[in-house]
Amino acid sequence: MMLQRLTLVAGLLGATAAYAHETAGAHGGRVADAGDFHVELVTKGESVDVYVSDGRQKPVPAAGFKGTAILVVGGKPARVPLEPADGNRLTGKAAAALGASPKGAVQLTGPDGATASGKFN
Amino acid sequence: MSTRFVAALRAVALLAAVLVGPALAHEGHDHGAASPSVSKTIAPRGEALSDAFELVAIPRDGTLTLFLDSFRTNEPVPGATIEVETPDGPKVATATTDGGYALPAPWLSRPGRHELVATVTAGEDVDVLTVAVTVPDPRAAAPGEPAPAQTVLGRVSELAHGIRERLTAKDPTLVAAVAVAFLLGVLVAALARGRRGAPAVALLAIGITLVLGTAAFAHGDEDHGAPVQGAALIGPRASGSSDLAQRLPDGSVFVPKPTQRLLVLRTTMTEQGSFRRSVELPGRIIPDPNASGVVQSSVGGRLSPPPSGVFPRLGTKVRKGDGLATVTPPVQAVDVSDMRQRQGELDQQIAIVARRVERFRKLATTGAVARTQLDDAVAELDGLHDRRAALDKIRQQPETLAAPVDGVVAQATAVAGQMAAPGAMVFQIVDPNRLWVEALSFDALTAAQDATARLADGRSLKLAYQGTGLADRNQAIPVQFAVQGDASGLRVGQFVTVLAGTDTEQSGLALPRSAVVRTGNGQDVVYEHTTAERFEARPVRVEPLDGGRVLVAEGIGPGKRVVTQGAELLDQVR
Repeated sequence: MMLQRLTLVAGLLGATAAYAHETAGAHGGRVADAGDFHVELVTKGESVDVYVSDGRQKPVPAAGFKGTAILVVGGKPARVPLEPADGNRLTGKAAAALGASPKGAVQLTGPDGATASGKFN
Repeated sequence: MSTRFVAALRAVALLAAVLVGPALAHEGHDHGAASPSVSKTIAPRGEALSDAFELVAIPRDGTLTLFLDSFRTNEPVPGATIEVETPDGPKVATATTDGGYALPAPWLSRPGRHELVATVTAGEDVDVLTVAVTVPDPRAAAPGEPAPAQTVLGRVSELAHGIRERLTAKDPTLVAAVAVAFLLGVLVAALARGRRGAPAVALLAIGITLVLGTAAFAHGDEDHGAPVQGAALIGPRASGSSDLAQRLPDGSVFVPKPTQRLLVLRTTMTEQGSFRRSVELPGRIIPDPNASGVVQSSVGGRLSPPPSGVFPRLGTKVRKGDGLATVTPPVQAVDVSDMRQRQGELDQQIAIVARRVERFRKLATTGAVARTQLDDAVAELDGLHDRRAALDKIRQQPETLAAPVDGVVAQATAVAGQMAAPGAMVFQIVDPNRLWVEALSFDALTAAQDATARLADGRSLKLAYQGTGLADRNQAIPVQFAVQGDASGLRVGQFVTVLAGTDTEQSGLALPRSAVVRTGNGQDVVYEHTTAERFEARPVRVEPLDGGRVLVAEGIGPGKRVVTQGAELLDQVR
């Protein structure tokens, strides 16, 4: 019994430590906090995908959300409007190809009109 | 066992939840509510930091005011383009007269948390900043729902406060309640000994306690009316009024951005380094011996202006070789008679020789006089003419006093018609850009490097070591330095404090002297710029380093933003 409990504690602590950092998310992108949500930013070529999940990493349906991603590409800010797609994904297309991991921010407007934003460095 | 396991699970979950908080906090912002406004008298505001910028957003009266400053120096960033994402798409904030940026934002009047994204473009730097602003609900009397834990604590303290108040007021209800509780206790004790009919009596006791207890303590839930509040806790200020700089209860100083601009607060990032220890020497400004000079008359004589007609005034720029004055040596009376006599003799000889030359010229054509005789006579006449002319000239040939170097006239004693003694100084020329400092050192400096001079007004000059004398002067030896860079505003003879580096090295954080403030209790503090509008005093131990800087040996670490300009003003905020 004691061993089980210890394993549980260790596991939980490990989990909290792991997802506290802006590291790889479930879709291979970078994760940041945005208000009550976690957003994962995946940029590939010109496409920008943002995955929304709640504080416990549970996917939140993207329907009803609106979003804007502002990413700095080559010293110039690029504004990418995001539209809800399937599941918890919002997607948008930039005018030019984005770099490997552009710095910037994602702003989400929820169905209730509340705004949340996450910063990616 | 299963209940125990559930309990253990709960404990672990609680622990995990507690640990998540701080772990996430370093991400930039946490999931909790935005940090509460620093005081009720200050409008709600949000701030964002990046490597380059510090942005403060203040929603007020349907307008979002933004202040953009450099992160490291706290210098306002003018001429930047700030684009804010609004429900109606991106909008650009316009610069205002007080150095901020304003944006009409009626959508921000809705109470609640707003997270803004601002794209800042200032010259080469582009940054995307996220700012969270919490607009309080104006209808709510309280500025916000306190957290549950706080509520419980508040209730307890309120209850305690109520009881204390009642005790002091000798409230009859409280007294009655205590009395009844005491009676009940006696009753229960008696019953416990008796054991008979215990349930009925116990029920009765509980009933009485409940009725009386609620009667006594019902007041605990009630609002006690606003307790007497300090002046710092007055209600929210009328909207539209500006915020005031103030010292917060935790000792930090809140200075709103517009006030920071007025006080010209500047910061610097502390960096660890090793520096040479320096010694302080008394010194004074002397002119560079190679770039200054005196104008003296070699002969005694009467001073008269140069050909330009006026003597150069003090501060006049002169070039090497410029005539500054003329000296006419006087002719003594005995010399005058001597000259008259000589003139007469010369005139007489000239007349005789001239007649002879005329005669020889006529005879030379006939061959009666040798040609050589005529030539000799002509030469003699020329010589006599020259001597006569020289005698005339010597009376009107004054000596010109010329500037020996380029510079400005530092001292001038010339007055027209004045008799100058031979060797007397008439002008002193100094090049104001080439000045030296002569300091007295009690121990021999080794080619003193990194020397600086501090003036009485706090200015500091960079010095280059020139040389050390060996002759003792007042138990010290003179050390000479050349002033480097701008030497304007200095005067010859001015006293300065020279700080010369020695070989001993010290490590620490070098900060400008103006960053360190001595507080009322005699402690040296520096102000750390902790958040955009908050400054915290940090007691430090400082050691002298050089004219402009001190070395912070302890009290603050590297990588902190420390106020270097306006720290005294910050210290005055109450």
